[in-house]
Amino acid sequence: MKRLDWLFMTSLILLIGIGIVLVYSATSNSGLIWYKTEWFKQIIHFAIGSLMAVVIVLMPAKSWKNIAWIAYFLSIITLLMVMNSGHISKGAGRWLDIAGFRLQPSEFAKITYLLISSLWLSKNRVSIMRPKTLIVPGLLFIVPFSLVLKQPNLSTALVFTAMTLVHLYWAGFRLVDLFLFVSPVASVILSSVSTLYWNLLIICVFFISIKFKFPLWIIILVMTFDIGSGYVSQMVWNSMEDHQRSRILTFIDPMRDPKGEGYQVIQSQVAIGSGGMFGKGFGEGSQTNLAFLPEEHTDFIFSVLGEQFGFVGTFVVLILFFILLWRGIMICRLHPDNFVNLVVAGACSILFFHVFVNVAMTIGFMPVTGLPLPFLSYGGSFVITCMILVGLLLNMRLKGKDI
Amino acid sequence: MLSHSQQQEDIRQEMNFKTLVFVFAIAIFFLILILRLLQLQHFEYEKNMKRAEENRIRKIDIKANRGYILDRNGVVLVRNRPSYQISLLYNQLKTKEARDSVFNRLLRITNSDGKRLLDSASLAFSFERGRWQKFKFQRLIEDAAPEIVAIFEERGEELPGIEILVESRRDYPFGSQGAHIFGYTSEISEQELELPENSHYVMGDRIGKKGLELSYEKEFRGENGSRYIEVNALGREMGSVAGMPFIKPISGNIIVTTIDWRLQQVAETAIPEGLKGAIVVLNPQNGEIYAMVSRPPLDPNIFSLEKRELHKAWASVALDTAKPLTNRAISGLYPPASVFKVITSAAGLEDNVITEHTKYKTCLGGFRFGNRYAKCWRGGGHGVLNVIGALRESCDVFFYQAGLDIGSRRIGEMGRRFGLGSALGIDIPGERSGLLIDSASYERWFAKKGWKWSHGEILNIAIGQGALLVTPLQQTAMIGALASGQGLYKPHFLKEVRSPEGELIKKNEPEKIGDGNISLRTRGIILKGLDEVVNSPRGTGRRAIVPGVKVGGKTGSAENPHGDKTHAWFAAVAPIEDPEIAVGVVLENAGGGGAMAAPIAQKVLHAYFYPDSVKILKTEGTE
Repeated sequence: MKRLDWLFMTSLILLIGIGIVLVYSATSNSGLIWYKTEWFKQIIHFAIGSLMAVVIVLMPAKSWKNIAWIAYFLSIITLLMVMNSGHISKGAGRWLDIAGFRLQPSEFAKITYLLISSLWLSKNRVSIMRPKTLIVPGLLFIVPFSLVLKQPNLSTALVFTAMTLVHLYWAGFRLVDLFLFVSPVASVILSSVSTLYWNLLIICVFFISIKFKFPLWIIILVMTFDIGSGYVSQMVWNSMEDHQRSRILTFIDPMRDPKGEGYQVIQSQVAIGSGGMFGKGFGEGSQTNLAFLPEEHTDFIFSVLGEQFGFVGTFVVLILFFILLWRGIMICRLHPDNFVNLVVAGACSILFFHVFVNVAMTIGFMPVTGLPLPFLSYGGSFVITCMILVGLLLNMRLKGKDI
Repeated sequence: MLSHSQQQEDIRQEMNFKTLVFVFAIAIFFLILILRLLQLQHFEYEKNMKRAEENRIRKIDIKANRGYILDRNGVVLVRNRPSYQISLLYNQLKTKEARDSVFNRLLRITNSDGKRLLDSASLAFSFERGRWQKFKFQRLIEDAAPEIVAIFEERGEELPGIEILVESRRDYPFGSQGAHIFGYTSEISEQELELPENSHYVMGDRIGKKGLELSYEKEFRGENGSRYIEVNALGREMGSVAGMPFIKPISGNIIVTTIDWRLQQVAETAIPEGLKGAIVVLNPQNGEIYAMVSRPPLDPNIFSLEKRELHKAWASVALDTAKPLTNRAISGLYPPASVFKVITSAAGLEDNVITEHTKYKTCLGGFRFGNRYAKCWRGGGHGVLNVIGALRESCDVFFYQAGLDIGSRRIGEMGRRFGLGSALGIDIPGERSGLLIDSASYERWFAKKGWKWSHGEILNIAIGQGALLVTPLQQTAMIGALASGQGLYKPHFLKEVRSPEGELIKKNEPEKIGDGNISLRTRGIILKGLDEVVNSPRGTGRRAIVPGVKVGGKTGSAENPHGDKTHAWFAAVAPIEDPEIAVGVVLENAGGGGAMAAPIAQKVLHAYFYPDSVKILKTEGTE
């Protein structure tokens, strides 16, 4: 029980190895000297990340509770700093230069938010019936969420959201509570797709809340929100400017504008699709090699995989991710402690959200959000974030009993 | 206790259920992804493959414009021109038939004279390289002439996979003039790419290799950009792709030099055809270099040539015994000859070993020292002279005797005070430090040859021969600092760094590298000597007279082992009371300094003081 989980470790190492190979393939044409190439830097990133993971594993599990508040406030401060003095990369102020390193405070906020949310919810259960219990978790969430959203970095803000939903579930919400909780968002989406679906949703929400015997005030509140948000979103849609509408429509149907915003998504799908069952072979991707895809080594690394290694490659990688997450979440069953459970569930949900959104983006299920793929995408801050999450998972597995 | 374990059991059951829900949920999400992948990669494979083949979007690097070089008045000295590269993109040729047909068509392409543009061996090599680097452009013809570009453009349809890329290359509107100052650029080598300071470069980038191009590479290069273009089936560009990132290149900075191009051109044309030598013109009060010429000239355009031609051209200049690649103004080492007598004089005067009134044995055309008879340059002799007269007429016999009294240590110390014997730190590479040694360092220096210092060596040193070597730059800076009395300034070309838009980024402040302090009295005597060299009827440098300006100078005729004729030296300053310009001229094996070098210095000085008398001339082929 105390031993390392070899299934988990094997999947992890395989994913990292595949990632470095893909970064090499995607950037080998750059003509840079080897120690300046992305693939070599990526190895360095993983070396640093692994070192941090080892240090984290060796720490006593209790220490996370002790540093949670300080770490949370520090990351809020760095987020505030980046708002004022951030390095402008691709028009978004997300980077902070500290002692010669370019860091992304929003990356580390993922971890500090995970810790603080776990700490609070491990002592205070939440319930939809008692809205008071949601005040503190709501505040803890809304501060980093809005700071990151303002950067603007919608995708990272959504990572906070996804993790929060899983945490609420772990800390007392039932599935049906979650359903009612997110129904206004669903209402916004469906109301713009078709009136029929929207009507169905409203009816569903109504009957479910009756069936589960929710108090009347909750039913009224939820119904008001759902119907209201549907109408408001229609009004907002009508008052939107053309380019904003076009962005949303392109999200829904990339083919609408093949040379515009949907371009990258289409190129990515063509790259993956042209890989076929077994791929074109290592280093042979004409799509990725002729640089049809921008940022192929970061956000679109999965397209490189799909083109060069085909369905076999994408399938194997997704299975590895599944094993990793499955073995990860199973740590919850080893230790009944609330804090351990929340950290593990939160870390797994962060990783999962990245994997799903990134892959969904490359195959045209989602808009280009800029969320990288854990362990495969190039990028220093993100690699380190992922390795810290892995370190936390292993730490909880090995030392969660002592908490 | 029981309730506690009961509670734990409850939590355990709850967690077991929740983890199950979590695993179930992600399994469903992953299944959705896998089904979609199966659809894309299996059921829609044919469609996607076809679209991939038809894809005609390409990422193109936009090389940054290299910064210009201007003279102090804004004359553009080095700029850029477009250069066309006929290139092969192997990936465009999918079948062997396609490759063979393009290969054969390329072989048959001839220019208007019927000469083949490509030979089969080099073409085969390019195709072979393309096989390994399918997605990289292989250069077939580098820097193609407009005529050749027209041929390929015309026949574009028969030549899929052949594309014409445009690059920016250096253009020198004044041809070989100033070439030794500017240096040149060429493609970065693999060894250079490995250096950590060159991490921003990629294969195919051009980098400064000599002169200002090398010194200020960081300012010149700017930052490359990139964009995405759509090409047609033949690889010809159709336009930019909307919605794709366009990274604008950032042009390099402009270097405003201290060069005064009018003076440079006068100096360039002043040296008679066929002679080797150098001219340095600078402002002794701040170290700004107005002009610098080295002969024989170097044509910088050869470094922009196509590789094969370049090798040929390179071999011819590198093997040329006249060494046109060497910038003689900073790398040429010459005996300072009689110009050095000002240092000998200053050393003696400063320590009161000699005075204005000191006189030695009569010059009868030679001087006996032990069993050696040292001649004066004038066989007839100079008679009895004081130091001013000895400078004026450059009497060797006076300085033989003065030298014995002064000693090598004092002379060496005075030389070092004015920058001799060490590099001055000019901002172009290749400067040499020369040689300035006294009795103490002599044996160390010549230990290999087993030479011993003998007292007679001082006779040679006192008149600027023997174990003394200077660069024309050192000679010019020395005479300037000695005459101005304001110290020795680091000679430099950089005046300002300006942004491509012309905004001032950096101003180069003059830097004093030596106090050059001698007493007013000593300086007064030396200046009197320099004055009389030019302006006295008996002076050796009368050909340097500029009407309306008081010029001071010193001639020199260096004996050397490389020929019968002496190297001709002339070092001048003007106006002598407050020198704002110093000129140094050396001509190898040209004869006497007064006859050969002084008139050249005169031309430069005249141009400086009468700027309206000269116009900047454009060379042929420029607007």
